[in-house]
Amino acid sequence: MGESGSKQSLDENLKAPCVAACPVHTDNRRLTEYVAHGRYEDALELTLSVNPFSSVCGRICSHACEQECRRNNVEKPLSLRMLKRFIVDNTRDYRLARRGKIKKTAGTKGKKVAVVGAGPSGMTAAHDLAKDGFSVTVFERAEKPGGMLSYAIPKYRLPYDIVREDVDDILALGVELKTGFDVGKDVTFDQLKKDHDAVLIAGGLFDSRTLALPGMDADGVILAMPFLREAAEGGTPVLGKKVVVIGGGNVAVDVARTAKRLGAEEVTMICLEGEDEMPAWDWEIQETVEEGIRISNSWGPTEVRTDGGRVTGIDFKECTCVFDDTGRFNPQYDESNTCSFDADNVIVSIGQQADISCVEGSKVKIAGGTRFEYDRATLATSEPGVFASGEIAVGPGAAIEAVAEGRRAAQAIAHWLDKGDVASIPGTDMPHVGELPERVAEKVIKRDRTEVEFADPVERLTNFEVIEPCFTEKEARQEAARCMSCTLGAVVDEEKCAVCLTCVRVCPFDVAKIEKKAVMPADECQACGLCAAECPAVAIKLERWGVHEMKNRIAGKLERLGGKPDKFLLGFGCLFQAETRDALQNDPAAVKSDGIVRISVPCTARLTVSDLLAPFELGAGGVTVIACEGDSCQYPIALDRIERRVKEAGGFLEAIGVGADKIQLMKTNGPAETEWPKILSEAREKLG
Amino acid sequence: MIIADQKPVAEIKGFIEGKKKVLIAGCGTCVTVCLAGGETEVKNVASALRIAFKNDGKDVEILEDTVERQCDDEFVEPLLARVKNEGFDAVVTLACGVGCNFLSTRIGPVQVFPGVNTSFLGSNEAQGDYLELCAGCGECILHLTGGICPMARCSKQIMNGPCGGTSDGKCEISQDIDCGWYLIVKRMQELDILGQYDEIQAARDWSKGTHGGPRRLTKETAAMAAEDDAAKES
Ligand SMILES: Cc1cc2nc3c(=O)[nH]c(=O)nc-3n(C[C@H](O)[C@H](O)[C@H](O)COP(=O)(O)OP(=O)(O)OC[C@H]3O[C@@H](n4cnc5c(N)ncnc54)[C@H](O)[C@@H]3O)c2cc1C
Ligand code: SF4
Ligand code: SF4
Repeated sequence: MGESGSKQSLDENLKAPCVAACPVHTDNRRLTEYVAHGRYEDALELTLSVNPFSSVCGRICSHACEQECRRNNVEKPLSLRMLKRFIVDNTRDYRLARRGKIKKTAGTKGKKVAVVGAGPSGMTAAHDLAKDGFSVTVFERAEKPGGMLSYAIPKYRLPYDIVREDVDDILALGVELKTGFDVGKDVTFDQLKKDHDAVLIAGGLFDSRTLALPGMDADGVILAMPFLREAAEGGTPVLGKKVVVIGGGNVAVDVARTAKRLGAEEVTMICLEGEDEMPAWDWEIQETVEEGIRISNSWGPTEVRTDGGRVTGIDFKECTCVFDDTGRFNPQYDESNTCSFDADNVIVSIGQQADISCVEGSKVKIAGGTRFEYDRATLATSEPGVFASGEIAVGPGAAIEAVAEGRRAAQAIAHWLDKGDVASIPGTDMPHVGELPERVAEKVIKRDRTEVEFADPVERLTNFEVIEPCFTEKEARQEAARCMSCTLGAVVDEEKCAVCLTCVRVCPFDVAKIEKKAVMPADECQACGLCAAECPAVAIKLERWGVHEMKNRIAGKLERLGGKPDKFLLGFGCLFQAETRDALQNDPAAVKSDGIVRISVPCTARLTVSDLLAPFELGAGGVTVIACEGDSCQYPIALDRIERRVKEAGGFLEAIGVGADKIQLMKTNGPAETEWPKILSEAREKLG
Repeated sequence: MIIADQKPVAEIKGFIEGKKKVLIAGCGTCVTVCLAGGETEVKNVASALRIAFKNDGKDVEILEDTVERQCDDEFVEPLLARVKNEGFDAVVTLACGVGCNFLSTRIGPVQVFPGVNTSFLGSNEAQGDYLELCAGCGECILHLTGGICPMARCSKQIMNGPCGGTSDGKCEISQDIDCGWYLIVKRMQELDILGQYDEIQAARDWSKGTHGGPRRLTKETAAMAAEDDAAKES
């Protein structure tokens, strides 16, 4: 739980839990808003502005945002990772054109930084430092950049061209990349340091950990990282029919699934942990089981059985407990309960460790094993000007955490280069509003999370093609509509509030209350805007919506359309009815011929009476409000409120001789693509 | 509070026919709360008037302003200054009649028109639902009637009711109106003071109501000494 109970929004420090949980604090609320408005390019800009690995994250991010999403209190979290994928997958042409315009800012400051390792951490640091004007060279041992993204995560989850998309944007800043270059071998660390003003070590966890068991040196025993690396490079590590994978983490899952795709007939994952303790993510385990991989829990390996130097099987004893009372890894066994598996191959996937050969012979102090001395706050090593980030520094985690640490490293290095000393760089923790209170959650209209259907398990095992399809545009828009815009709700101007209680009475979520003046607690408000549309004092503002501002908006739209069309009619529609962004657009030629201008709004119940009259001021002959019918509406009572407001506007029009019939409310379940043209052309006929 | 009801825009439009520049002035107090004359209503009325004049082909400038209260000098001064400086030739006030009077006696040669019908002193029973509960008669007798006012709630304002027109708790005037005296008796029963009901109440002293001419009230203990007031002003 984060900090809760702050009264009003517009406080930049009061974040939605999804934003706080994301290590780079992607503003998912804006992202979903942009998708709803069809502004996919703006959404791309937004995600890239905080996350240079947006394409990658759209595919494989472990999405802490979703774990924290407040829709969890209603039904299920927003599918934020998939929305990100939708955004990057649907803006490719724009992004290519954009890349051509990226300014080569690297080198404008005249100080040089070397980055060891082109994984997400090193490349993010390079990105930020280059943007800051430093000259940056990334040295990468492998032939391709991306680190584990390119060499460990299997292609059926993350194809290389997706990694490349992000990397190419970074390189466009003028970052120099030297691949096939092993620091420690191709250049000594001291030399590298001499040639640069600062060095960042971001070498990741390159090596696999192994086990000290009898038989480990037999043919057919393989370590996870070399196995995945070979597969990633398109190689086909020779496998027998029966494969045992030792390990229960995400890497072991990838190993098992890769083995199956490479032709192993029977793949079994065996791990120390019980079913509920497995470190692999639930969804990964589920996909693994779907692919016919067996998982056997609570076994610790004792011996690899061999015959003539080749693996024939592996023996286990029961693991009764993995962690001790203090939560430390301290497995206990029942030696009397054993089992044995036949195997042609044993793949050991029990964790990764750093390869710190790059600093060998240098003054960078080793703290013990494969770790060097490193200060988590300053990201500095023992050697002045040498910093570290990513998994080599903080241990295994998710790609986005490596990105966030890369960002912190860039800040640390920039400070070092600009000021000449080390600084404590703020971590990624952020206060947030916490969970959605139950009393509000139960009033929120439930909406199923949009799921995609993965490729058929039998089919997908025959190749390394991506198994997860992207959202269609309709699905993406439907999913974006589920966002509750947490903390972006209503804010009261205390000077104007007349304490009339209108907001308290109309709020469908029982959120608005009076504390001397009206108050909408930011951790409860659903940002529906119903109160703002009815406030008689114009005292309520909404973060995402200009209350009473429709006249300017329509005027702007008319200007962009080349002036008011003949026989001008205005149609207000709810943008959540549109399955494609095309439906939200006004085609200037069509407007010219039929005179109908569309304005899409996030729920028509945001429209005030003055908003409804505004088109008439601008010369419209009629207004049609297309509201969502029944369950399709986002908010309780919204339809009733807009019906009343249309009636009130009609009363004014009647009184001045225009006629109440010139404004009408139509209801539909959509979609906008087919329903709006029908409704609006009927209006056209009716009004002449 | 004071309850008001917006006048039909057609009527308001009639008031300002022939004017060139009109200010629609809202009040942020009672009429805002009863949804008749706050900033939102100012927007609506102004918009409707602009549409109406535009459709007539007439060039009338309709502008908007809302102040905290139209019954205090400190609040109306900026409004008056604006009317003068920007050359308005009429003001439509959506404040209650008090505001219209108050402005009219201070604004100089610019006519102030009422945009609402000031209806009564009443309560807000529910969103958009108002009920008259006090007649402002000048001498409260609520202690005699269980706290329910026969002046405001009895159609005939009788002091010793009910009359013969009461039936099933409703007034003979309309089935929608409660019989005030029925309410009084019920309330007295509830308070176990029905004995009071048997006492015949004397006729009212109407001189304290509107029959005694326009009323003015000075609270001596709160008022400023004349010289202090003058010193403050200079
Ligand atoms: C199998 C597997 C699956 C994963 N799946 C996911 C997932 O689904 N979602 C998720 O969020 N995260 C996942 N991760 C984790 C994610 O890949 C890592 O968190 C991330 O790649 C770490 O980034 P990094 O920059 O610290 O290191 P790395 O990505 O490891 O990059 C370090 C780079 O440094 C290079 N290097 C090392 N030493 C030298 C040297 N001496 N000279 C030159 N270059 C050197 C290496 O070749 C490597 O390219 C997975 C990891 C693995 C292994
Ligand atoms: S509902 Fe939207 S803003 Fe709220 S936590 Fe979920 S994604 Fe974030
Ligand atoms: S009416 Fe809507 S915007 Fe206003 S307080 Fe309630 S939930 Fe928030």
